[in-house]
Amino acid sequence: MKDVQLRNSTIFLKIIFVISAAVIFFIAGITFKHITVLKKSSKWVEQSHNVNMELERLIPYLKDAETGQRGYILTNDKSFLTPYTESKTLIRDSYKKVSALTENSRTQQANLKNLLFYINKRQNYLSKTLYLTQQENYDKKILNNYLIIGKSAMDSVRTKIENMMSTQQNLLQNRQEDYKSTMNYTPLLIYLTLLVTLVLITISFIKMNRDLVKLRKTINTLSVANEASNLAEVVGGFGSWQYNLETNEYNFSDNEYRLLGVKPQSFKPSLEEFLKFVHPDDIQYVIDNAKNIPTNSILPPFTYRIIRKDGEIRYFRTLGRVVTIASGERTHIGTTSDVTEEVYANKFIEDRNRELESNNKELTAFNYIASHDLQEPLRKIETFLSRLVTKDYSNLSKSGQQYVTSIQSSAQRMRILIEDLLQFSRTNKTEKVFEDADLNSLLENAKQELTQIIEEKQAIIESSELPTLKVIPFQIQQLFINLIGNSLKYSKENRTPIIKITCSKIVANDDEFLPNNNMKYHKIIVEDNGIGFDQEYVKKIFILFSRLHNKNEYEGTGIGLAICKKIVENHQGFIFAKGVLNQGAAFFIYLPID
Amino acid sequence: MKVYLKYNYPQLTKKILEDKLSELGYKFKIVGFGEFNFLEKIPTEKLMELTEQFQEYGIEIIENQKSALVQKIKDTIVEMVNSDTPINVKSSVHIAEKLNLSYVYLSSVFSEVTYTSIENYIIIQKIELAKQLIINTNMNLTEISIQLNYSSVAHLSSQFKNNTGMTPSAFQRIILKRKEFTSNNS
Amino acid sequence: MTEEYINICLADDDQDDRLFFTDAFDELKIKTKVSTFNDGVELMNYLNNADSILPNVLFLDLNMPKKNGVECLLEIKKNEKFNDIAVAIYSTSSSEEHIEETFINGANIYIKKPSDFDTLKKILSEVVTINWQYHTSGLNKDNFLMRM
Repeated sequence: MKDVQLRNSTIFLKIIFVISAAVIFFIAGITFKHITVLKKSSKWVEQSHNVNMELERLIPYLKDAETGQRGYILTNDKSFLTPYTESKTLIRDSYKKVSALTENSRTQQANLKNLLFYINKRQNYLSKTLYLTQQENYDKKILNNYLIIGKSAMDSVRTKIENMMSTQQNLLQNRQEDYKSTMNYTPLLIYLTLLVTLVLITISFIKMNRDLVKLRKTINTLSVANEASNLAEVVGGFGSWQYNLETNEYNFSDNEYRLLGVKPQSFKPSLEEFLKFVHPDDIQYVIDNAKNIPTNSILPPFTYRIIRKDGEIRYFRTLGRVVTIASGERTHIGTTSDVTEEVYANKFIEDRNRELESNNKELTAFNYIASHDLQEPLRKIETFLSRLVTKDYSNLSKSGQQYVTSIQSSAQRMRILIEDLLQFSRTNKTEKVFEDADLNSLLENAKQELTQIIEEKQAIIESSELPTLKVIPFQIQQLFINLIGNSLKYSKENRTPIIKITCSKIVANDDEFLPNNNMKYHKIIVEDNGIGFDQEYVKKIFILFSRLHNKNEYEGTGIGLAICKKIVENHQGFIFAKGVLNQGAAFFIYLPID
Repeated sequence: MKVYLKYNYPQLTKKILEDKLSELGYKFKIVGFGEFNFLEKIPTEKLMELTEQFQEYGIEIIENQKSALVQKIKDTIVEMVNSDTPINVKSSVHIAEKLNLSYVYLSSVFSEVTYTSIENYIIIQKIELAKQLIINTNMNLTEISIQLNYSSVAHLSSQFKNNTGMTPSAFQRIILKRKEFTSNNS
Repeated sequence: MTEEYINICLADDDQDDRLFFTDAFDELKIKTKVSTFNDGVELMNYLNNADSILPNVLFLDLNMPKKNGVECLLEIKKNEKFNDIAVAIYSTSSSEEHIEETFINGANIYIKKPSDFDTLKKILSEVVTINWQYHTSGLNKDNFLMRM
């Protein structure tokens, strides 16, 4: 699971959490409001109920007063007046209660005042009636009047109370109306919010579940990778280490310990502990290099010796570099490889190379000196012989003359051999400069060198366009001279020598002579119509001093083609030949296109 | 800054001759490459003076008659080799005609004085011209061989190699490298 | 003044070669005066001497002690006094590159020492003759290159 993905998940979860919290707060808020509303609502109901109750009590009180009064009037029993007297207080109390309860409503207060008027009027007339009846002689008409007025007042009271009750009901209804809308949509909102929250929680759950699955997978992959890495270390013979740049602590892999010949994690990883294994001569070197670890971002490879626990000396190579992980932390990680085999192999190769080089130099020097210095005395022999022959030939006996002639001929043969050998030894590659040369010019030069023979034999030399290559010019020229010279030398009598030189580009795979690979070559063919050779001897002709004819038939030492082969090899090329007796020969030269 | 020169020797020598002779003040007439006539008698001291002056230029007054003849032969050969118009007769015939003497006689005098044969001298001059053409012009070997009346390029190359021991292209290469070498070292 | 003889010098440390050389010239019909020197130092001392008669042709062996042929060649070519001398390198076999190098360094002639006395005579005769032609015909000595 990528770091970016992880970070995104975290942000996502944070967002969900914040949203959820907000939602919950929102719900809480709404619920609180709802409850407050409910509380208020029930308070109002209670209040209205109390108002109505008290208002309704007023009527019985008044009625009790009325009844008491009536009873007294009828019986003149004072005990009937008790309710009448009591009612005053009760009425007053109730009235006070109602008044207090309807504080908030001006309408009701006004109504109350109105009510009070009528109550007072009623009570007034009650007491008036009472007083009247307490008189010995009272006017029944006035009593009637009083009773009628009293009744009408009572009716008014009743009406007023009913009025007030209905007003109170209205008030209550109004109040209820206010809260109705709130009461109505609040549950809806809550349900909606709950639904949303549910959805969010479900999403979070799904996401977290997926993330967990991914994490598990990642952990698995990491575990496997870790195991693979450990295995790779064991197989590859290297160990890895980490240096935490924050904590300045080392961490060695298991194989790092095994390389040293000890059990994994058998000591606390640190430079000091590691140095205990380093070869005493290399300790300073390792310390100098290890200095780079805390400071430089790249630790270039350095090689040193360690002595394993069992005493064996091994060569280690350590290198490392700093990596920065996502959180910004920097760790220096590195590897330590056991390169002992490589070092030994290299040493071996180097030694062999040195040996070969020195051998080669010796041989070359020997070759050259032998050829060159042998010439001097031989030349003297020949020259003195020629003087002898010129001056004193006639003074020699017959056998003497014969001997001298034989000596001369052998000396000459020897000279030619040494000259050829010298030429061969000069065809080496060292200290020769490769330069771009037009092979057509080199061919021209070769033809010029052979002008005489070409004229003599009336030979025809045809050539196609040759490329310009990076070569040793003198050597390629010599190559042409030798091959064309051969073609001329081994031409058929009475047949005009025709020598054709052609060039083409080929790929090794497609060619009959070359090994199978994709390397590209210039293929130059020099073919003639001379005496040719038996294909059976094709390998022999390139061998130094090997000839297919004896020196009486055709002159030569058998070195020409050996030189050609050497020249071609100097240029990383190949040379092959094909011949048909009495028909001609063809030589195939391959020079790499680089 | 390097400047390369080509000398027209006949013209050069003629000019020097004219200048020197004019200075001397005696009437003269230049007859050929190596010959002129004094139109009036000239005292011996003046002649000595002239001889001395000539020496500065490397000009010799040939006293020997045979040497004079050889010089004439040489002049003829040089002219013949350097001429742009091809000469259609054999060189021996041409020279004999030009100098109005038998070729046999001419050959023997020439060899006696110069230690070489006329034929060889002709070749030397031809090769010398070829060298100049190779160095100073862009002509290729074919063109040069035509100019010098060779039957083929091969013939030229062959003679060149015989005479100098190296091929014309080797010669050219060496001269070029030599120029580089001397310029680097001077 | 026509010269009566041609001046030849040879510098070679080998006694036999000096002998061959002088014998060869003795047998040539060209009138020559031959001087030989044992090494490069002797040669240069002679040449640098104001009284010395400078040679027309100078033959230099390459391998000499004290001062070898190439060193002499370079010294001679640097000195204008010696411009008229045709220098011939007279040596045992060398590689193509070396031969070209001697020409580039200023040699006029390269001669590979022959193994036969008659050939030597022939070569020396040719060299001297051709040099004589250059000398007497005003040819450009800079173009005088020969290889034998």
